[in-house]
Amino acid sequence: MMNFTNESNIGRSGLERINSGCKQLGNALLVTALALLLSILALPALHGQVPAPSQTDPVALTGGTIYTLTDGVIEDGTILFEDGKITAVGTGIDLPSGTKQVDVSGKYIYPGLIDSYSQMGLYEIGAVDMTLDINEQARINPNVRPEVAFNPESRHIGIARSGGVLITVTSPGGGLISGQSSAMMLDGWTWEEMLLKPGTGLIVNWPSPGDEDNYEDELRELRDAFADARAYRKAFRAVKEGEIRHLDYDARWNAMIPVLDGDVPVVVNANLLRQIQDAITWSEEEDVKLVILGGRDAPYVSNHLASKDIPVIVTTVLASPTRAWESYDSRYNLPARLHESGIRFAIAGAASAPYANRLPYEAGAAAAYGLDPAEALRAITLSPAEILGFSDRAGSLEVGKDATLLITDGNPMEYSTQIEQAYIEGRKIDMSDMHRQFYEKYREKVRQAETRR
Amino acid sequence: MKKLTLFVWLMVILPVAACGQTEPVQGLHESAPDVHAFTNATIVVAPGEVLENATLVIRGGVIENAGTNTEPPADARIWDMEGKTLYPGFIDAHSDAGMKDPRVELDRGDISWNPQLRAQLKANSEYDPEDDGSEQLRTQGFTTALSVPPLGIFRGQAAVMSLGNGSVSDRVIRPEIAQSVSLRRSPEFGFSYPTSPIGAIAFIRQTLHDADWYERAHSVYQSNPEGLKRPESNAALNALEEAVRGRQPVLFEVISEEEMMRSLRIADEFSITPWLRGSGHEYRILDVLSDRNLPLIVPLNFPDKPEVDSPEDALNQNLSILRHWYLAPENPARLAAAGIAFSLTADGLDNPSRFLLNLRKAVKLGLDPVTALAALTVNPAGMLGISDTHGTLERGKAANIIVADGDLFETDAKILDVWVDGDRFRVHEPLTNDPRGEWRMVSADRTVEATLVVKGQPERLEGTITINNQEVDLSSASVRDQARRFRADFPGEQLDINGLVRITASISGDELYGWAEASGMDRMEWYGERTAPAEADEREHPDITPREVQLTDIRPAMEYGREAPPEQPDHILVRNATIWTMGPDGILEDADLLVTRGEVVEVGHNVQAPAGTVEIDAHGKHVTPGLVDAHLHSGVDGVNEIGGAIVPEVRMGDVLNINNIWMYRQLAGGLTTAHVMHGSANPIGGQNQHLKMRWGHLSNDLKIEGAPRTVKFALGENVKRVGTDRYPETRMGTQQIMADHFRAARDYQTRWNEWEQYGQGIPPRKDLRMEALVDILEGDILIQAHSYRQDEILMLTRLAEEFDMQIKAFHHGVEAYKVAPELAEHGAGAVVWSDWSSFKIEAYDATLYNARLLSEAGVLTSLHSDNSQIASRMNWEAAKMVRAGMDKEDALALVTINTAKLLGIDDQVGSLEPGKDADFVIWNGDPLSTLTKAEQTWVDGRKYFDLEDDRELRNAVEQERSQLIQIILED
Repeated sequence: MMNFTNESNIGRSGLERINSGCKQLGNALLVTALALLLSILALPALHGQVPAPSQTDPVALTGGTIYTLTDGVIEDGTILFEDGKITAVGTGIDLPSGTKQVDVSGKYIYPGLIDSYSQMGLYEIGAVDMTLDINEQARINPNVRPEVAFNPESRHIGIARSGGVLITVTSPGGGLISGQSSAMMLDGWTWEEMLLKPGTGLIVNWPSPGDEDNYEDELRELRDAFADARAYRKAFRAVKEGEIRHLDYDARWNAMIPVLDGDVPVVVNANLLRQIQDAITWSEEEDVKLVILGGRDAPYVSNHLASKDIPVIVTTVLASPTRAWESYDSRYNLPARLHESGIRFAIAGAASAPYANRLPYEAGAAAAYGLDPAEALRAITLSPAEILGFSDRAGSLEVGKDATLLITDGNPMEYSTQIEQAYIEGRKIDMSDMHRQFYEKYREKVRQAETRR
Repeated sequence: MKKLTLFVWLMVILPVAACGQTEPVQGLHESAPDVHAFTNATIVVAPGEVLENATLVIRGGVIENAGTNTEPPADARIWDMEGKTLYPGFIDAHSDAGMKDPRVELDRGDISWNPQLRAQLKANSEYDPEDDGSEQLRTQGFTTALSVPPLGIFRGQAAVMSLGNGSVSDRVIRPEIAQSVSLRRSPEFGFSYPTSPIGAIAFIRQTLHDADWYERAHSVYQSNPEGLKRPESNAALNALEEAVRGRQPVLFEVISEEEMMRSLRIADEFSITPWLRGSGHEYRILDVLSDRNLPLIVPLNFPDKPEVDSPEDALNQNLSILRHWYLAPENPARLAAAGIAFSLTADGLDNPSRFLLNLRKAVKLGLDPVTALAALTVNPAGMLGISDTHGTLERGKAANIIVADGDLFETDAKILDVWVDGDRFRVHEPLTNDPRGEWRMVSADRTVEATLVVKGQPERLEGTITINNQEVDLSSASVRDQARRFRADFPGEQLDINGLVRITASISGDELYGWAEASGMDRMEWYGERTAPAEADEREHPDITPREVQLTDIRPAMEYGREAPPEQPDHILVRNATIWTMGPDGILEDADLLVTRGEVVEVGHNVQAPAGTVEIDAHGKHVTPGLVDAHLHSGVDGVNEIGGAIVPEVRMGDVLNINNIWMYRQLAGGLTTAHVMHGSANPIGGQNQHLKMRWGHLSNDLKIEGAPRTVKFALGENVKRVGTDRYPETRMGTQQIMADHFRAARDYQTRWNEWEQYGQGIPPRKDLRMEALVDILEGDILIQAHSYRQDEILMLTRLAEEFDMQIKAFHHGVEAYKVAPELAEHGAGAVVWSDWSSFKIEAYDATLYNARLLSEAGVLTSLHSDNSQIASRMNWEAAKMVRAGMDKEDALALVTINTAKLLGIDDQVGSLEPGKDADFVIWNGDPLSTLTKAEQTWVDGRKYFDLEDDRELRNAVEQERSQLIQIILED
């Protein structure tokens, strides 16, 4: 039985591990031996992970505890996937002939984690401008798409996967309208193969209300942009209907048609009370689908958010309050307060690509401070997929969805848990990463030094 | 035209040209009578000493007599002071009078190498009489001021100046009475050493040593110069001799209570005589100040109302801001109530003409008016050494007098005149012929009769005129007192006169001789006779409502501040916990922890409790040592001294600041000890400070006694990219400048050894930078080196070995794992991030397995936060290492015992072993679980954080905030 919801159990299980000193030593030896073996096999090449081939045979993971997210927890269950899609989840499943069976007894199976706000693929080294493709020129860039700049060789991809993150919603930044985000699967030879869903949201950076006049000006700019886009759509439709012959192309307003049609939500980066309220009112006037990103002050206007059913993507739970008088844990318990108010929400990190592997800990902190751990898990799996419109493919372990999942020895939010294997669209992926490769390479150096002595 | 030019020329030049008593008279001698007798006055001779219906006589600028039976001398001009109050002229004990446009660049003569050192400047010599501010000060009653040079760190010598007429020469009362010092650099001199508060304090220390050395070196040289190298001549150091010998006070101008305490520490260290110009925050450290009888000068710089106009604005106002707004006006009263004597100053006010308003506010809020007067007269006179001549209206004192039309302290009485050295200055002239009152008007031909009523303030008259029972408001009314001219207009329509009627009159006592003009009507002469006098101006008490809300003193003066430090129970027994001792006993299940007076006494099973023990049942809970963060930058005023590549003389311990909400949050996350570090701008940076999270104590009490000194080194990108003209710009230069300075330090050591052995000639100069380098070389200061790449890490180990030194720990050490065997061999530890990566090129090869690989290679390894937020969850930082494959106990060691060892404080903290400090945390579960939080945090056997107390504190904070916001809105 998974003991994540039971604090005293988890304490004990942790201690069992600590107290079994002999086993520890054994483990250490094993690790050393393994490292040795690896060092002989893999050295000296340091490289990115090799993308896995498409799934050919049906695969069944058997005997594990399956966290379906939509249909509870299945003990000693089986999950079967074919051609990258889940075809069965449960117990007593008939396996088609040719099924490759993997015994995962004692292990846990979770949907791949989703980082719902990320710069993965666009960010390599912070202080080296040429490795960054995040902020485009000018302030209105609704036509900008991140997938075409997504670098499949980024080191941070493998590291995120080791943390259980298999999907990132990669998002451009900067300006007033930054561009559109896209959901990316973290395995593949090219960005094309990695693209899960383009256009998951139009990123808008809500202006800062610090200077009232400036705030008014920037809001006017935003409203004007939407008005122009709406006029463009009208003309565009008129061309389609044959009412007019021609419309000069405008990449920006053309890109906003699905937003105005309500097919793509507007993801508004808003943290302050005023920004959140003003954005809700604005979205109603514009009749667009709104998602609040950030949402630091969201609990102060929770009724407003709940009454309009506006979802929130909480960025950084592992953070301190911005105001000295706010309680030390007011960011940790923010998701719990949103949940109590009946607000739909996802938990993301601070977007920084190298730290996508911290995502489960962001959710874990929310669980430490009042959020039901099951809800915390949902906030990094199913909820982001629902909020950003790709829950037909990801976020839970259901028949028909992608076989994008994790095999672990515990809850992925718990620090002591190891993510042992991951599958993306049924492809068994290379679990190495640059962190491990550096470890393995320089563990060999230590070994050689010891040998010399 | 020519005449006018000459007149202007005289106006400007005359006061400057008339130079003291030595100047020959040009033209005729002017000898206006200078004997005055003020009769029928209320005379406040001195604070608390009031004569009613008395006479004051001044002669030649000096008080000749003051008393109730004093007869005005025959040659005196008589001033009837019926209804007036005379006060001694106020003394501003810290002023920029005459210093409004100071000389910035000193480019001649034997000046100091450092432009911030201007000790030789004298306020009396630098005094610029043009627009010197004395007129504005006089409107507030000031007749004397200490003029203080305003620029630099050592700013020069202050002079007591008269705020009267005449040349600067005539106005100097006492020159060179104190050296003005600031703990902050002046930006006017560019961005060079010292660039920071730490650097400024180090520079003050060095300069005081230099001044001491300068005097001794010159005295040796003068007694026998033969064969000696001539010591440098330095006007600034020369000027500091009196101060450094304790004979001339050092006047510290501070901007916070922390700076005030820093000034006192410097004064104690060098046995100099401190004077303090406060910041208005003194109410926060009454306990510190009441222990010492210090010359203290307090401003009335009450802050503006915090912005709470909209509820969203209010959301962003912190309690520290709201509290200070509320308490600053109580500062003088609170000082007085604590028995602390002080002087007041108008300095620090954006607009000095608010001084009296603020003074009255302070009086209304509890400052005794007699104390207030003393703070403006006898106290500053005593401090400035001018009591014989200033501060009271006694015989023989300078004729510095305030003439007011009532009580200046408790009513909004006006200052009419101030007299300075016997010269009169008009401040507020009352009307001699007051047009206010009721008048019967008659036209010369007696066809028109009217009643005129004039009221209001002299500068804003208003009134009515009634003709044929028809009353009309005057549309304007004014008076010119010297001309005795009254003018008014009123619309004629209602009186059947076309257009505007304009009247004018000469006021002659109770008669008006008038004239009028209106459209469609003949010009008309008229006469008026007063039928009712002007109503007397009531001196009103200032409109300040007495306070209902009394704020308690808390420390720090902000959110979650404490009224007193937590109790330290004699004995504490934590029972039935899972105790991570982090010592040889490992993890004990169902164990007890006994603490006696702040010290761990026993950890084990079935521990017996002495009588009176505070017992805590911790069944199901985990207890760990308080967490230790090896690398933090919060709670200090400034982190980097950028002004030099080698600055080990600067000390973080000089600039601790308790107004630091992070400390409370860090306690809430189980952190009890931190190593507060200098920044990374220098190959050899400043000295760091070990401190404990003793929330609620003074900054100096946070320091861990007995902890070794440590210094920050830095390598790589950060030291290269400071400025474009600072050496080094490469990792190559970094190595060279470090090696060079260690060699220079060896040479310095040799010079001193030789001098101590032979003791001949000029003594060597004490160089704090070199002293620190010597201490580093000798191993008395532990090296904590910021580093990223393996090449630079290896370079520094080899450099250290060349000088027989050991690097205690490499911090950050993003690539430390690449040279783990070399580190182990050198004996250096590693203090690394859990998972920071890729924020710059030298951080690109980061790995989550850094700490693990280092540990496996035998390197003593710790984690650090380098971040105020992360410092509040170091248990989770350690937990990440469990995912990287480390054993749980080894992981927790990264933030407890290993850290303590690398900081040289493992004899006190880092594990729960008998004899160590009782710093511990009670967690609600496994401290390395994502689901766990700290419930209680204890330091020295005192409970500084408790989850349940925290809930109450939150409510109290919210309540006090909303209460203060309401007060602001009502104000």
